Amino acid sequence: MAATDNKRKRRAGAPQVPGNIVQGLAAATCSLLGTAASMPVAAEEEPQWDFDTALLYYGESDERVQDLSFNVLARRMFPDDKILSLGLGVDSLTGASPSGAIPQNEVQTFTRPSGDEVYPVAPGELPLDDTFLDTRYALTAGWQQPIGRLYTGSAGISFSTEYDYTHAGVNFGISRDFNKRNTTVSLGAAIARDQLDPVGGAPLPLAVMGDLGDLSNRGEDTEEKDVVDLLFGVTQVINERFLVQVNYSLSDSSGYLNDPYKILSVVDPTTGNAIARTPGPGMGPLHEYRFENRPDQRRKHSVFLQGKYFMDGKVLDMSWRYMTDDWGIDSHTLDATFRWPLGERSWLEPHLRLYTQTEADFYRASLPAGELPAYASADYRLAAFDAFTAGIKYGRRTSSDNELAIRLEYYRQDGDIPGDQLFGDHSSDVLYPGLDAIIVNLSYGFDL
Amino acid sequence: MIVTRAQRRVARGFLAASLLLVSLLPAVAAADDSAALLDISKYRGKVVVVDFWASWCGPCRRSLPWLDGMQRKYADDGLVIIGVNEDNTSEAAEAFLQNVPVDFEIVLDLAGDIAREYELIAMPSTYVFGRDGKLASRHLGFKTAKQDEYEALLRGLLDTGTAASERE
Amino acid sequence: MASTRRLALAAAIAMLNGTACSSLGVEPWERDVLARDEMQLVTDPVQASIDDHIYFSKEASSGGRGFGGGGCGCN
Repeated sequence: MAATDNKRKRRAGAPQVPGNIVQGLAAATCSLLGTAASMPVAAEEEPQWDFDTALLYYGESDERVQDLSFNVLARRMFPDDKILSLGLGVDSLTGASPSGAIPQNEVQTFTRPSGDEVYPVAPGELPLDDTFLDTRYALTAGWQQPIGRLYTGSAGISFSTEYDYTHAGVNFGISRDFNKRNTTVSLGAAIARDQLDPVGGAPLPLAVMGDLGDLSNRGEDTEEKDVVDLLFGVTQVINERFLVQVNYSLSDSSGYLNDPYKILSVVDPTTGNAIARTPGPGMGPLHEYRFENRPDQRRKHSVFLQGKYFMDGKVLDMSWRYMTDDWGIDSHTLDATFRWPLGERSWLEPHLRLYTQTEADFYRASLPAGELPAYASADYRLAAFDAFTAGIKYGRRTSSDNELAIRLEYYRQDGDIPGDQLFGDHSSDVLYPGLDAIIVNLSYGFDL
Repeated sequence: MIVTRAQRRVARGFLAASLLLVSLLPAVAAADDSAALLDISKYRGKVVVVDFWASWCGPCRRSLPWLDGMQRKYADDGLVIIGVNEDNTSEAAEAFLQNVPVDFEIVLDLAGDIAREYELIAMPSTYVFGRDGKLASRHLGFKTAKQDEYEALLRGLLDTGTAASERE
Repeated sequence: MASTRRLALAAAIAMLNGTACSSLGVEPWERDVLARDEMQLVTDPVQASIDDHIYFSKEASSGGRGFGGGGCGCN
């Protein structure tokens, strides 16, 4: 065991420093990169910059979403445990996503969000909207330093932009050690302001999808969304080989929380078929669809528990997260990785993640004609579903002490539409779009 | 909440014991305690620095070259540095010292007995004993920014008692 | 009655800083395993960010992880 320690010149004996809160909280604010929980220190002359790079391919089956991204995290330590982190990410997204409309036994026609084009969907096919060709850029910067002997403070900013969405946020964190550093209490906060400029303008709540060129039911202004995240955590060393962390987080979102491109099919409550309509003089939808509407507030509570256990060179990492919010969604996430050293330079890490969520109160597979609730969404991400991820990662330290790793994962979502949301001829349809995706992730870490 | 006199006495006793435990400063074996695991009594008359380090501790690794520099600079003035290594195996310590060679004495404390005797509360920890063998200072951690301060402390201790040792 | 509560509170504070909690944990010189990269709470921050982003885009939950604690415990 000890011999391995000394060979890991580049990464051994990392000084204990808390991570930038962007990493812990920012998923809700779409920021791509966060900074490290620990900083590598070389035995001899310390390298100036430490880089972690990653190339990611995410691909869903059936011509749905594909994402190719490149990320880099650069960290530089300054004397006495001060760390500067800079992160950059570039995402190129292509493909299509379910629009929320349900398959029908006849051809359906939809108007694109821009209003400039219509597209048909064959009978029996799941309607997909492919207005997602875009590149997203994300930037993060963070600073972390000790305050006195037992406190560590951090502050950071995050920024991301794509054609219809920008995000800007700041974050702060402080942690304090107790009991000879066996216990660490952490507090974090992140505030973000996001702006949306949906193509064609944000649709008015539950407005009917218009014909080609008709943008009368759209708003003019840029939409905004504010997110505040708070985190309280306790990390406890149990014994020489066992570490545990418990966190509670609160996330408050307010403003425009809709997905401006998602729609619901309006259906006949008896037959379950879409209500036909006659398009205007040009072209337009052959059936009635309404744009979704979600509440303009959302409060989420999460409890997170993680344990890391060392067993003779192998490390088991297990975590459980429970989330509940005021949209009626409850979720559980169980995540386990097992790192298995292969010789002195490489390792294998199988991974399993199990996820389940209940549906939002206002989730509807479709809207029965005549019903017009205040809030409704057919976005499958707000539906009840189970998901699992199974993967394996192989890592290796190169002869120049840099790190190479490759990760392969399979992600699958399976859902069920509750019986009371299925009508007539469609009650036996498998309406939940489901998801099948593979993830390929190459990473390379080096010092300069 | 009804509390009997006995309960109150127990509570007071418990509080007193807790506060006493909390207020106790580390009792470090004095240099003239020859039963100590690390016997520095043979260095009486010199300024002794006992530094606890390990190969897995980043700041410790930064402190060793500095301590080596201090040893070279002040050896003739009567400075003795002892590095107590807290690795679990001698291989780990030796492998590290091959990359970062130092000239001062290294003591292996594989089981952590010396650290326990010194009641270490942080890594690294540096204990500085004056020429009289008494503990003059204890530093927790190693900060590059405080190097000059550490050196000034050593120089101060080296300057005292020089006249006395000259007389001897 | 108030004085007993005050005593209990003082004892609790003393315990937090003192010896009662030290049954859980290790001595500062026993952190060699905890100092290892693979024993940090987040071993790969870039991967963690990537995954957070994927699951945030495909599910209704996000975040939860924290920061701070574990490791070498040095300085």
